[in-house]
Amino acid sequence: MKRTFFKTLSLLALLVTVDSQLVHAQSLEAERPAIPEQKKEKGDKVFNAETFMLDNGLEVVVIPNSRAPVLTQMVWYKVGAADEPIGTSGIAHYLEHMLFKGSKQVGGRDLAPGEFSEIIRSMGGNDNAFTSQDYTAYFQSVPSEHLETVMRMEAGRMMEFVVPRDAFESERQVILEERRQRTDNDPRGQFGEQMAAAAYVNHPYSIPVIGWKHEMEVLSYEDAKGFFDKWYAPNNAILVVSGDVTPAEVFEKAIDIYGKIPKKDVPKRERPRSPELNSRTLVTLDHPAIKQAVVQTLFRVPSARQSLEDARALEVLEEIMAGGPSSRLYQSLVTKQKIASGAGLSYRSTSWDDGSVYVYATPLAGQTLRGVHQALMEELRLLIKDGVTEDELDSAKSTMSDKAIYARDSLTGPAMIIGLGLSTGEKIENIEHWPDEIAAVTVEDIQRVAETYLNPDKFTAHPPVSGYLLPQGAETGEE
Amino acid sequence: MMKHSLYTLLCAFSLLITSTAQATVLDIEEVTSPGGITAWLVQDDSVPVIAMDFGFKGAGSVQDPKGKQGLARMLSNTLDEGAGSLDGKEFQQALREKAISFGFSSGRDNFSGSLKTLTKNKERAFELAELALTKPRFDKEAVDRMREANLSRIKSSLADPGWKAARLLNDKAFADHPYALNSGGTLSSLQGITSKDLEKFHKRVIGKNNLYVAVAGDISAEELAETLDQIFGDLPDVELEPANDHEIKNQGTVFHYEDDIPQTVIEIMQPGIGRTAPEFQTAQVMNFILGSSGFGSRLTKEIRETRGLTYGIYSYFYSLDHLDGMAVSTSTANANVPEMLGLIKAEFERIKSEPVTDKELQSAKSYLVGSLPLSLTSTDKIAGLMNSLQLDGLPKDYLDTRNAEIEATTKEDVQALAEKLLDPAQFVTILVGKADGWEDQGLELQTIKTLPNVE
Repeated sequence: MKRTFFKTLSLLALLVTVDSQLVHAQSLEAERPAIPEQKKEKGDKVFNAETFMLDNGLEVVVIPNSRAPVLTQMVWYKVGAADEPIGTSGIAHYLEHMLFKGSKQVGGRDLAPGEFSEIIRSMGGNDNAFTSQDYTAYFQSVPSEHLETVMRMEAGRMMEFVVPRDAFESERQVILEERRQRTDNDPRGQFGEQMAAAAYVNHPYSIPVIGWKHEMEVLSYEDAKGFFDKWYAPNNAILVVSGDVTPAEVFEKAIDIYGKIPKKDVPKRERPRSPELNSRTLVTLDHPAIKQAVVQTLFRVPSARQSLEDARALEVLEEIMAGGPSSRLYQSLVTKQKIASGAGLSYRSTSWDDGSVYVYATPLAGQTLRGVHQALMEELRLLIKDGVTEDELDSAKSTMSDKAIYARDSLTGPAMIIGLGLSTGEKIENIEHWPDEIAAVTVEDIQRVAETYLNPDKFTAHPPVSGYLLPQGAETGEE
Repeated sequence: MMKHSLYTLLCAFSLLITSTAQATVLDIEEVTSPGGITAWLVQDDSVPVIAMDFGFKGAGSVQDPKGKQGLARMLSNTLDEGAGSLDGKEFQQALREKAISFGFSSGRDNFSGSLKTLTKNKERAFELAELALTKPRFDKEAVDRMREANLSRIKSSLADPGWKAARLLNDKAFADHPYALNSGGTLSSLQGITSKDLEKFHKRVIGKNNLYVAVAGDISAEELAETLDQIFGDLPDVELEPANDHEIKNQGTVFHYEDDIPQTVIEIMQPGIGRTAPEFQTAQVMNFILGSSGFGSRLTKEIRETRGLTYGIYSYFYSLDHLDGMAVSTSTANANVPEMLGLIKAEFERIKSEPVTDKELQSAKSYLVGSLPLSLTSTDKIAGLMNSLQLDGLPKDYLDTRNAEIEATTKEDVQALAEKLLDPAQFVTILVGKADGWEDQGLELQTIKTLPNVE
């Protein structure tokens, strides 16, 4: 398979927003079928999700899908590693681990360390959680008769930090092992960290989500509790339920169960910004474990929250440049020039602050990194100079709109897409009408975003950062 | 190896069972084409999607000729790189235009294909599948390109200690069998693979008589019957090289490959249990309690939750057509390796020497039975699950009957099987990491200097 289903999902996810159509709790019966008039003007919605907001500010999204008698519940907190206090890197993720080590239950007894997952397993379900720079999410997939139980459990986790102190130390060793596994054992992980550190100067995206080792070693119980108390609140969270449920039952139970949790004063998300920079940065890591060189360039570009219009254009640009082996970069560098074994471009729109575009290639033996790097940049110059053709545009749009149909063919996928979008500031209307918005992108839009954000020869306030990962002692080639 | 191959499938449906008291889990219809090709079908028009998984039994890398490691893999890479009048780019563009997902993969035993299309694009999808299977081009340009992609993949993987450990485990545990070789090829074997080799291999292993087809989604039985003849009707019957049954080798030895990294990757294997063994379901219950992935197993509780020694540890059955293994996979900071190995052995001994608790048994049963619907939530998952059942020679009603066996499992059954099966003295152990006082703690090591089946 040259493209995974997940790729399809993540493409969709790039887009999205939520909001204004949220129905308020008291008027549940009267107002629930939100958003009727836009349905007439636009094409079909991708997911047909229904939304609702509790009095305490919790957003609730339901995506009915009765294919199998199961459901996925996800709670997304609009907080992540980029919101950590200085010097406590990794605390958002450490806290996520800790919240499996003891929590309250709405209408039930407290859960001991490990008990949350044990209960889910004994239902025939799976559970887990994940942390990124901008969000932290907890989820369970279970047979649908357990809806109320998993809501009581997840709402209990939101209520109060009750993790016993003696569970704290051993879990520190677990996150340090996780860091070793992801990063310290693999130079490719270290290279990624250093690329981000160079590209996001003074902004917290320069710090890895897992944390710097020396800071992870001194994180305290109070750091975790403090982070929870500051950010974990119904008015800073989104509940997404997909599967064999009706919106009415989810809304009613949500009012009953999550509705009991008081709202908090949650701070505004204001992160330090990067200064304007004017240096070309090249990160080079040569390492004895590396046998295959990689070259990449990272451009900071708008996220969907920052500019929906730019984001849609960048998504189509991504499909044209790198939507599989018949796309531009692969055809040019791999098939025609035969200087690389792989080449691509990936755009991430789902971030609260700047999104990113990575352009990358793996040089063939005998090619220099600089030569392959220049060939990549040439493709961007060509794009900026001549734009794309109407044929390329139409073909990309048609592929993307077909892919949106596949996105419904999943239990957890739609909940992921919607949670990801909403927690990074997009609106549900834009997620639902993503195919229409893609259809509106023009060749001019694509040329404009390429010129503005992906120009190798004209620096913006945040110049691109390039990276060479190469075998120890290898030459990078002549400038 | 473990994460990508057959294991994923095996493990996915070892967790799937349902109660006989319930309705049929999957309403599988057997469809036979006018030309005599059969397929399993689950019709479902809830989304306008059709997924077809097909496997050629025994046609995987176990068929790679000597000196041509990676041939089956290369076939899987090149079958969708040009067929009939379409060259590689045109074929890929044809897929992309219609958002058709289509590709091949080679396991150790079987060679598989997977097709997913929107209903509206089905004609084109079936046509391209037929072309790829019956008129592949193996243009030199495409073969060279895929060879380079594989060489890059191998060289990139050399930065991954888990990949190195997998190479070593295969080489040692499966020694003297084709399973010991690298299904992804080696840097030198790939150089020798030509278009001619691929043509011959394709003719030799891709046949109508070793074909199993599973389809789910928005298609009728009548239409499927015609489609089967269209796509597969022209395939010949083939005769495969026989492979021998084999046992786990190098039992009792700890192999160490020195790697200058802070965390050691640990892979352990001992003899396992076959799919047809009467205790197969008991073994699923036992393993769920001992070391299934996810929170709550004994290995995770003792080693991760209580002691913080790892981010992940799990045990699983690794069953191939000609060999049955049981494995443990984990990693820990170099200094902890002897302690970790001791703890794994202790958990293997404990489940043999004392019965599991009622709670553990109940939780295992309810998970194994109750989680089945979670693997039936998308069209491609349903097709994939059915195709694995077919390739394993299991009957259509397997999902319906299997759970009675699970439900009937007792603590005594689990203990008896554990006593019979589990034996730390039979562990083949692979350590990839930097030795840190290991030998002082009584660990006897056999050192390996060169990675096998890479160069």
